[in-house]
Amino acid sequence: MDDLYIAATPTSPEVDFRFSQHVLSLKGESYPENAAAFYSDVISQVRSWLASCQGQHIVVNVALAYFNSSSTKVLFNLFDAFNQAAMMGNVVTLNWYHDEEDDTILEFGQELRDDFGALDFHDHALSGV
Amino acid sequence: MIYQQYRDFCDAARQRHVIFYYVGYFSQHIVGAMADALKLRLEVSGMAGPTRRKLFSSFVEMAQNIIHYSDDALTPPDLDNHEVRHGSVCIGIDNDHYYLLCANPIKQDLADSLRQKIEPLRTMTLEEIKQAYKEALRSESPVDSKGAGVGFLTMARDASEPLEFEFVPMPGEPDRVMFYIKAII
Repeated sequence: MDDLYIAATPTSPEVDFRFSQHVLSLKGESYPENAAAFYSDVISQVRSWLASCQGQHIVVNVALAYFNSSSTKVLFNLFDAFNQAAMMGNVVTLNWYHDEEDDTILEFGQELRDDFGALDFHDHALSGV
Repeated sequence: MIYQQYRDFCDAARQRHVIFYYVGYFSQHIVGAMADALKLRLEVSGMAGPTRRKLFSSFVEMAQNIIHYSDDALTPPDLDNHEVRHGSVCIGIDNDHYYLLCANPIKQDLADSLRQKIEPLRTMTLEEIKQAYKEALRSESPVDSKGAGVGFLTMARDASEPLEFEFVPMPGEPDRVMFYIKAII
């Protein structure tokens, strides 16, 4: 399966999903006009790739400085897909990066950790982002 | 004469501590550009990081609500991307708190459903708002919503006071009202 790369725009993140290396990274800000439209193709590619993964170690890096409410909802579905892959016998490490002062993103990470217990979740608080 | 009127307008805005005001069409590009302007303004102001983020978050939710829901649209109503709609947004300082106000026309018959969405949030504690937000994240989107249905919850979470809102009759337009919403950060 081809790697997926979408360059960042001022209101949408860089999507750098290197399926060939099992390293998927999301970085930037996420408030596209229509989050469902922006992420639907991304999520469907991730789902079809995950369906082919067996006993793999997958690393997901997420460094989003801001995401709006509709992105939040869609991202939740993306992490649900990773969690299912982890329950199917893969190891999925989620590196969750956020500014140390950003309680909203910290708390969203805690939600993910609580809800998606199969993920190997690592919180990374950064200073001065 | 025109200079005097403009000076009066600027003085009135300054006296009311308005730091940002825009009225006109809202598209994703315009919101992105305003977001840039606002970020710069907030960075220069020396405001604490968490307050800055809450203000920015509420701004984006309000501005994107105008893109999606204002009844004054340049683009066809069935479009759900690349929309352009009319409204206004204002950010100012009152009693040492930043506030955001936005306004756009809506159909009169939508007022009740909006009221039912926002009114309950006004009496909820922050913990209850966070709990409702968690539940909304896990539920399917309502059919009449282009977003996640969590926009107002996000505003309520970021605000330090209950959200305020109003529906004001529009002269000569019995089937529309002007919808105002205010968040104090």
